Amino acid sequence: MKKQLIQLEINDLIYEVPVNPRDLLVDVLRKKVGLTGTKKGCGQGDCGACTVLIDGAPVLSCITLAVACQGKKITTIEGLADAQGNLHPIQQSFMDHGAVQCGFCTPGMVLTAKALLDRDPSPTETEIKRSIAGNICRCTGYKKIVEAIAAAGATSKVEVQ
Amino acid sequence: MFLDHFEYYAPATAAEAFALAGRLGEGARVLAGGTDLLLMMKDKLIKPCYLVDINGVKEFQGINYEAGKGAVIGAAVRISEIEHSPLIRDKYYALWQAAGELGSVQVRSMATIGGNSCHASPAAETPPPLAALGATVVIAGAAGKRELSLEDFILGNRQTALKEGELLTGFILPEPAPRSASRYAYIGLRDAMEIDAVNMAVNLVLDEDRLTVKNLKLVMGSVAPRPLISAAVPKLLTGRKFEPMLLEQVAAAAAGEAKPISDIRASAEYRREMVAVLARRLLQEAFDAAREV
Amino acid sequence: MNRRFTQVGRSVPRVDAPAKLKGEAIYTGDMVLPGMAYGKIKRSIYAHALIKNIDYSKALALPGVLAVITGDEAPNKWGIVPQTANEVALAVGKVRFHGEGVAAVAAIDEETAEAALDLIDVEYEPLPVILDPFESMKRASEVCIHEDAPENILHAAEQLFGDPDKAFESCAYILEKEFHTSYVNHAFLEPHTALASFDRQSGKLQLWSSTQVPHYLHRQLSIVLEMPMSKIRVTVPAVGGGFGGKGEASSADFCAALLSRKIGKPVKMTFERSEVFATNKGRHPCHMKMKIGLDKDGYIQAVDFDNTLDGGAYAGWGMVVMFYTASMIHLPYKVPNARARVRRVYTNKPTCGAMRGLGGVQPRFAMECLLDEMAEIVGISPYELKMKNAIESGYRSVSNLYVPHTEYKKCLQTAVEKSGYLDKHGKLPFGKGIGLAGGYYISGTAYTLYQAYKPHTTVLIRVDTEGGVTLHCAAADIGQGCNTVMAQMAAEALGVHFEDVHVVSGDTELGTFDLGSFASRLTYAAGAAILEAAAEINKKLKEVAAGMLGCRADQLEIKDRRFYSIFESRKAIDWEKVVDVYTNTVGTLTGIGHFSPPRLKGIDLSRGVRVQGANIGHSPTFGFSSQIWEVDVDLETGKIRAEKVTEAGDCGQPVNPMSVDGQVEGSIMFVMGQALYEEMKLGPDGRMLNASLHDYKVPTAMELPEIDTTIVDSYDPTAPFGVKESGEGPVQPTIPAIVNAVYDAIGVRFTELPITPEKVLKALKEKKA
Repeated sequence: MKKQLIQLEINDLIYEVPVNPRDLLVDVLRKKVGLTGTKKGCGQGDCGACTVLIDGAPVLSCITLAVACQGKKITTIEGLADAQGNLHPIQQSFMDHGAVQCGFCTPGMVLTAKALLDRDPSPTETEIKRSIAGNICRCTGYKKIVEAIAAAGATSKVEVQ
Repeated sequence: MFLDHFEYYAPATAAEAFALAGRLGEGARVLAGGTDLLLMMKDKLIKPCYLVDINGVKEFQGINYEAGKGAVIGAAVRISEIEHSPLIRDKYYALWQAAGELGSVQVRSMATIGGNSCHASPAAETPPPLAALGATVVIAGAAGKRELSLEDFILGNRQTALKEGELLTGFILPEPAPRSASRYAYIGLRDAMEIDAVNMAVNLVLDEDRLTVKNLKLVMGSVAPRPLISAAVPKLLTGRKFEPMLLEQVAAAAAGEAKPISDIRASAEYRREMVAVLARRLLQEAFDAAREV
Repeated sequence: MNRRFTQVGRSVPRVDAPAKLKGEAIYTGDMVLPGMAYGKIKRSIYAHALIKNIDYSKALALPGVLAVITGDEAPNKWGIVPQTANEVALAVGKVRFHGEGVAAVAAIDEETAEAALDLIDVEYEPLPVILDPFESMKRASEVCIHEDAPENILHAAEQLFGDPDKAFESCAYILEKEFHTSYVNHAFLEPHTALASFDRQSGKLQLWSSTQVPHYLHRQLSIVLEMPMSKIRVTVPAVGGGFGGKGEASSADFCAALLSRKIGKPVKMTFERSEVFATNKGRHPCHMKMKIGLDKDGYIQAVDFDNTLDGGAYAGWGMVVMFYTASMIHLPYKVPNARARVRRVYTNKPTCGAMRGLGGVQPRFAMECLLDEMAEIVGISPYELKMKNAIESGYRSVSNLYVPHTEYKKCLQTAVEKSGYLDKHGKLPFGKGIGLAGGYYISGTAYTLYQAYKPHTTVLIRVDTEGGVTLHCAAADIGQGCNTVMAQMAAEALGVHFEDVHVVSGDTELGTFDLGSFASRLTYAAGAAILEAAAEINKKLKEVAAGMLGCRADQLEIKDRRFYSIFESRKAIDWEKVVDVYTNTVGTLTGIGHFSPPRLKGIDLSRGVRVQGANIGHSPTFGFSSQIWEVDVDLETGKIRAEKVTEAGDCGQPVNPMSVDGQVEGSIMFVMGQALYEEMKLGPDGRMLNASLHDYKVPTAMELPEIDTTIVDSYDPTAPFGVKESGEGPVQPTIPAIVNAVYDAIGVRFTELPITPEKVLKALKEKKA
């Protein structure tokens, strides 16, 4: 099947990529665009490691078609640090609270947290847990992640979209 | 895990969507949220030649409410939109609850209310509350439009009344009756990301004395190939004063109607017992809420 | 309490955290090499079958396919325990579990590789499938899984210390019960991944792999590929979790290497989640019988332990796990007489192996629950019973395990005080309960798994005027944070700052020898080696500094990047200046340190012959933990909700307290899953029914209880920097504490895992009847 050239807006940049309709967003991001920060943990939408933001909403890129993302704003983990490479307040909070161990769930977790805090800068602990329930972590036991998100919400100047 | 090749269409209007559905026939599948569809395609359970992406069709979007008439929800409305809709929470509480408990935040951002019913998994979350609330589905195609009650739309395990060339375009929810309340709950091993072992929705309408049950619908999910509308429970309660003593009898009756199977998630016996537990709990909750309305 | 440490004991953020947070950390699956091809494995659809024929001609003909291999191209057996090595890269002649690899493909892209699998025709002759270890032993004469194991038993052993039978005769209280644990998987988030690059001209192979054990992988590659180790280099990029499941080698490693050698191009192979389940190497389901005898005052007199381990299809870590389970009954309580009869049995299931806290979790479950019940019989609190019997520093078990240091009693006390256990136990309303358990784990480990006298860990430290301090060690950071703690320990030993130390790890060519990240050995082992390497460097530098300052070398201390005389405080000089002078006058400054655990005499691992002491479980020191769980049982649905965990642990001196907390919290949630939700389910044909993270249920954030952890003040004077383990001790008390809490809540003692709502409801009904 002949590939078609599509445009994807990723982290405020326009990328032109050749894709087949069957190509999944996670594979296009990792292999065609070269942004490997988005991870593949299961390929079946069960672990959340492939989470990216589409128009600000957290979405599972392993069950999203790349062609269906034209005209949308895609945010991957690489888009969070600022233009000088400084950590986003959520990333900084994760670091300060020891919420990163093997790091494989981290990109997806951070983006899910960003979507939450953009919508609600001061969520309750239950709301935080609920919002990251789709991001599996096997290393941390979630406690430091929840603390990091709560702290980021309380002190950061997160821009609400 | 990769998909087989297919051709992709993204109609911009309902008319285009109907034309495509009509033209492409049975080799075509509708892509809404994709959370069930793409997984089935990855597992090679289905191999559609064409995907028709309806997410760009404005006519399939939107939650519109008119006082006295009820609400119309577009088929492609995301579960997350329903979860965050003050209107749905206010008027159609059981649907709001079910939406909030479907999958995870990510799945809710992708999945649609139409997809949840069209996929017609026996464990689907939104069909029971939709049925309990008296929802009608709107089906349309090149040949025209028709409406069906939700329980007549879902025919069995992954089977719906959709004919070739037809699309589900929306749901109509009637204006809630005065002194009514609806509730939903599920039973599962974890508190998130669950395929429900059992779920249930209840819609209860009280008489003017706020004690007698005027009307009642109880719908069970995951205990039959399609949402099971209870016949016994309304029979037992309609026209009677709601009393805790009655609940035992009612719960047993509901459990008796359930037709669960045993699978890796739960045994039939356990599911049947949980039907009784949920029936008791949800009816009490709905009753308490209806008294306050 | 920080004993005058400035770098050790700091909760510094992990060195690799920023890269991971920005999505810039490179895991094996992120790597791309020029000309790289992709590999996929074709897997068996039978759990037990002879392979009659494999025809892959159609696959080879598919455009884009570069090579196909089958098992007979590399039939050499490998195994993490060489004496029992019986695994192969791809099945040879026979498959023994559903999902075993039978062929592998390399293609120009992943989609083509996957499509090629469907074009490989395998002809099987199905054999009867055995899924139960007892059935396996019974039917061994008609269904034999390995030709060299006619009884379907990998190994069986009996260990006897003292005279338990005689001791039981005079016991006032005796209790014997059966316990059964479940078939669970590590479910690390990053699937096994390997990238192999074979260079035809030099004949050298480099393998990047998601592994915990670069050294063992290095050895196994040499065996399977029939190449000298000097021509192989193993590099470990960032690893997305291991928990023991990446503690051997995987078919991804071998197949990627074999394919790369065949086509002379790099080949990358990443497993799907279902393949991770098929590879398994998770915790052994154990069918245990434990009998404990107490004297009239409640002191343990004897323990009799019988364990049948369901090992799955191959050997793997099986023998070691088996011996560990036998060894684990000797601590953390004084046991004067003991017998252990253990056997590890083959079945047609994905192989079991090492999983966090290996060999400890299962017998711990049995012992802590049994003691909880015996306390009730004796009429005292489980806390009192355990305190009575708890060991103290300097204890030597009858099996010759020596515990130089322990704060186990303090762990119990702390957990009890903080949770209010004594005010709640037996006093909460029906449906609510509180349970106590304790546990321990080895630290520093004792054996190399193959006959060798060499040190287990070597650290090379280089100090120069350009790079500062560089630490070389082939240790693998799999997310547990060893790169960070090694930098902290090196900085402490050298008198510099944590930020000054660069760690070069996870590479067999760039780093010096290390056995691997398993059995909680690394902090201890690396710490010891670091001390020795640093001592060498400090000696050389002090001599130069003394000359520069005009005093004696042995009067100098190094702290905070300065040398200073302990007697004349004005005689001080910057560390960098001393390094500069040393380099100019002598040359590059290096120090090397080795760690070898104390070795016990007369053990012959290869024949399982005990001369004195149990074969396995000896380690230089041990970590301890106590947990108290509070649960709320929904009496109508049977669902158990964990409300709160109070933990107190003895990890000696914590090198990085924040990291320790992370390990403890992670351990708690990891094993809670095994107690309540997780179970690999198989159909009667041996096919896994829930090989996805959807139906294999690991805890999500919604299941998180309140967790209160305490690092008990502790310092092991025999250990480098006083350190002990903290990643596997805390998994030990979790299951029994939950089970004991459920008993307190509803009066039912569960002896089989997982404790599902269905089982709870059933038990409640039976109790009523």
